[in-house]
Amino acid sequence: MKDAAPMVYVVDDDPSVRRAIKRLIESIGLQVELFCSAQEFMSGKSRPDVPSCLVVDIRLPGISGLDFQQELTKASIHIPIIFITAHGDVRMTVRAMKAGAVEFLTKPFRDQDLLDAIQLGLERDRARRQQEAEIAVLEERFKSLTQREREVITMVVAGNLNKQIAAEIGTTENTVKVHRSRAMDKMQAQSLADLVRMAERLQIPGRT
Amino acid sequence: MFISANIELTGSYDYGEVGRSVFIAIAASYAALDLAGHVTAASGRIRAAWLTGGATAMGLGIWTMHIKGMLAFHLPVPVEYHWPTFLASLLVAMLASEVALYVASRQKMGMVEALIGSVIMSAGIAGMHYMGMAAMRLPAIARFSLLLVTISVLFAFIFSLVALMMAFDLREETRWTVPRRLGSATVMGLAVSAMHYTGMAAATFIPASPPDLSNAVSISPFANNGIAIVTLVVIVAAMVTSSVDRGMSREVQRLNQNLEQRVAERTLQLEEVNQALRKEIVDRKRTEDELKKQKEVFQKIFEDIPVMIGFVGKDGHLELVNPEWQRTLGWTQEEIREPGLDIYAELFPDPEYRQVFFEVVAASTGEWTDLKVKVREGRVIDVAAAFVLLSDGSSIGIGKDITEWKRTQAALQETQENLARVTRVIGMGELVASIAHEINQPLTAVLMNGNFSMRQITSGMPNLEEVQKAIAEIVEDANRISAVISRVRGLLKKGVVDRVKLDLNEVIEEVSVLVRSEAARNLVTVRLELDTVLPRVVGDRVQLQQVLINLVMNGIDAMGAVADRTRTLDITSSPHGDGVLVRVQDSGSGIDPDHMERIFEAFFTTKPQGTGMGLSISRSIIESHGGRLWAEPGSPGAIFYFTLPANGMTV
Repeated sequence: MKDAAPMVYVVDDDPSVRRAIKRLIESIGLQVELFCSAQEFMSGKSRPDVPSCLVVDIRLPGISGLDFQQELTKASIHIPIIFITAHGDVRMTVRAMKAGAVEFLTKPFRDQDLLDAIQLGLERDRARRQQEAEIAVLEERFKSLTQREREVITMVVAGNLNKQIAAEIGTTENTVKVHRSRAMDKMQAQSLADLVRMAERLQIPGRT
Repeated sequence: MFISANIELTGSYDYGEVGRSVFIAIAASYAALDLAGHVTAASGRIRAAWLTGGATAMGLGIWTMHIKGMLAFHLPVPVEYHWPTFLASLLVAMLASEVALYVASRQKMGMVEALIGSVIMSAGIAGMHYMGMAAMRLPAIARFSLLLVTISVLFAFIFSLVALMMAFDLREETRWTVPRRLGSATVMGLAVSAMHYTGMAAATFIPASPPDLSNAVSISPFANNGIAIVTLVVIVAAMVTSSVDRGMSREVQRLNQNLEQRVAERTLQLEEVNQALRKEIVDRKRTEDELKKQKEVFQKIFEDIPVMIGFVGKDGHLELVNPEWQRTLGWTQEEIREPGLDIYAELFPDPEYRQVFFEVVAASTGEWTDLKVKVREGRVIDVAAAFVLLSDGSSIGIGKDITEWKRTQAALQETQENLARVTRVIGMGELVASIAHEINQPLTAVLMNGNFSMRQITSGMPNLEEVQKAIAEIVEDANRISAVISRVRGLLKKGVVDRVKLDLNEVIEEVSVLVRSEAARNLVTVRLELDTVLPRVVGDRVQLQQVLINLVMNGIDAMGAVADRTRTLDITSSPHGDGVLVRVQDSGSGIDPDHMERIFEAFFTTKPQGTGMGLSISRSIIESHGGRLWAEPGSPGAIFYFTLPANGMTV
C-alpha cells in the first residue's frame, strides 16, 4: 500500500476537459479518477488509502464546487482541493481559499500550474496523513496504559510533583514513581518534555 | 103670418142630429191632434201643406159640427141661411184651426204662446159660431142672453187652451198615443159641442117679419147629411193620409234604420278590407323597399366597393365582372365575353398555375387564396381571392390587389428583422460571459493536450498512442471552439432570412450548448426531452435559435431567486398536429398573472436590464413561421410553448 501512487480525483462536467486533465496527470505517474458531478463523487466507492487531492470545477451541475467543499468538510473528508474554473471572480476565489483550497486556477491554465498545485495538495495530504498516522500510534500506546497510569501521567503532564500526585490519589510517592516510569516506557517517551508533547497531540488534559 | 112680439118661439132639438154633431166634433178633434204631430215633424212646404190640410179638416169638422148643431135645432118657423156668411164662418173656423195647429206644432210652447193661441182660436170659434147664427134667415129676431154668451166664449177659450196643450203634448208618437188621443179628442169634441150648445142656448127667438131672403138657402136634410159626409170624408182622408204618412214614415224609418245598419256593416267591412289593403300595401311597400334596398346594396357592392367581383358560370366561363375588376386587370366586360379570347390564359399564362386556379375555383371553399395574376399591361400582381359556390353550381369570386400590401409587409418584416438583430446583439452582451466559458472549456483541454503531447515527444520515450489520442482531441476541441464562434457570429450577422427544412431537435441541442454554461453558472440544470420522430419544419435556423435562447435565458433569470428547490429548465419537443410543439419549462418564480398577457408586448419588461423586446420579437418570429407562441403558468414556474407547422409558412 505504501508504494501505491497518489490519487487525484477530478470533478468536472466537461468531458474533454476531464479527459485532458486525466491524460496530463497520468503522465506524471499519478492515479486519476474522474467524476462529472459532486454527487457522483460523494456516492462513489471507497477511496484507496493513499495521498490524494481533488481537482474540482467551480461550476458544476447540481451542487456547485464551493458547496461541495463545505459538504466534504462536514463529512470530515479532508482531501485538499484545487479549484479550476472558466469563470472565476475574486469573491469566489476568496471564499474557496478561506475554506482551505490549495489553489484556484482559471481556465485556460498552464498545465504546470495545475501539476504544481496537485503536488502541493498531495504534499499537504501526505503531511496530514503522517500526522494522523503518528497520532494513531500514540493513541494505541495511550490505550495500552492502565487506568492508574493514565491518571498519573495526566497529572504529571499538568505539572504536578510526585508527592502531590501521591497525596491526591492516596498512595506513596514510590508507587507514583513506578506508575510514571511504566507509563513513560509504554508511551516510548524519552523525556518528560517528550511526554508533554505527546500529551498535547493527544489533547490529554481534556480527557481522563 | 102674425106673431106677437112678446111670444118666444120655442125650438126643439133633433137629438140624433146632436149626437152626430158631437161625433163630428170628436172626429175633427182627433184629426187635429193627429195632424199636429205631422206638422211638427215636417218642415218647409210639406209643413205648410200639413198645416193647411190639418186646418182644413179641423176647421171643416168644427164648422160642420156647428151646422149639424144648428140644424138639430128645430124652430117652428122655416129657417134659411145666408150662404155667404155661412161660407165666411167656415173660413174663420179654418183660420182659427190653422192658428191652433201652428201654435201646437211648434217645437216649444210657452204659457204665453198657449194663451195667445187659445185667445185667437177661441175668438175664431166663437166668431164662427155667431157668424153661423147670423147667417140664419128666419122670421124671428134672436135675442141673446149675455151670461150664456159669455159662458160660451169662456168655454171656447178653455176648450182652445186644453186642446192646444193636449195637441202639444200628444204630438209625439208613443205607445199610448192612440188611446190617449181618442180620450183627448172625446174631451175636446164634447167641449166644442158644449160651447156650441151653450151659444145656442144663449139665443131666444122672437117672431118677427119675414127676413130678407136674398142669398139665402134652405138646407135640406139631404144637404145637411151631404155636408157631414163630406166633412167626415175630409177628416178621414186627412187621417188616412196621416196614417199612411205615419206608416210610410215608419217604413221609411225602418228602411232608414235598415239601410243605416247595412251601411254601417258595409262600412265596417269596407273599413276592414281597407285596412287589410292598407296593410298589404304597407307590406308590399316594405317588401318592395327591401328588395330595392337589397338590389341597391348589391349594386353598390358590385359597382362601387373597391373589390374585384366576378361570376364564373357553371361551365367555367367568366361571365360577369365588376368595374373594379375591369380597372384592376385591364379587360372590359365585353372583351372577356369575346369568343376568340381565353381570358384565363391571359390572366394566368402558366398552364400549370392556371390549373391550380381552376381547382381553387372548382372547390370554391370561401377561403382566402393568394394568386399571382397577370394584368393586361403585363405586370403580375398579387391578388387575395376567395370563391364561393352558388346554388346553381356557378361561382362568385372576390379579389383584392394586395401587391402594395405585400410590399409593405416585406418592408415591415425587414424592419422587424433588423430589430430582431439588434435585440440579438443586446442579448449577446448577456451571453458573452457564457460564451467565453463555452470557449474556455475546450481551450483548456486543447492547452493541456498540447502540453501533454509536447512533453511526451520531448521526453525521449513518448507514449505515441496517448499522444495521438491527445492530438485527436485537440482537433475535436478546436472544432468545438470554431462551432461556438460561428454560431455567435450567426446570431450577430445581418442575415437574409434563410428558410430551410430543419430538424428542430438539432436547433434545441445547439442552443442548449450555447446556454449550458450560463445555466451552470446559475446552477440551473437544463434537461432535454426530445422526441426522435419529429417532423421537419421549414424555418430560419438563427431566428429559431434566437427564440429558444430567449426562452431559456428568461427561464434561467426567473430561477435566480430560487433557493428552496432545484433549478431545472426542461426543454421538450413533440409532434403536434402535423407540426412540432416545443415546451420550455422553468421552476422559477413564475409569471405574475397580471403580466401574463403583457409579457409579449414590446418594451414590456420586469427585468432591471431588460429591453422588453425578447418575447415580443420571439412571438413575431414564431408567427412569421406560421406558428404560435404562448405562456402558461407552471407549478412552479412558467411554461412557454411554441408550435411550428411542418411545411407551413404563411405570408
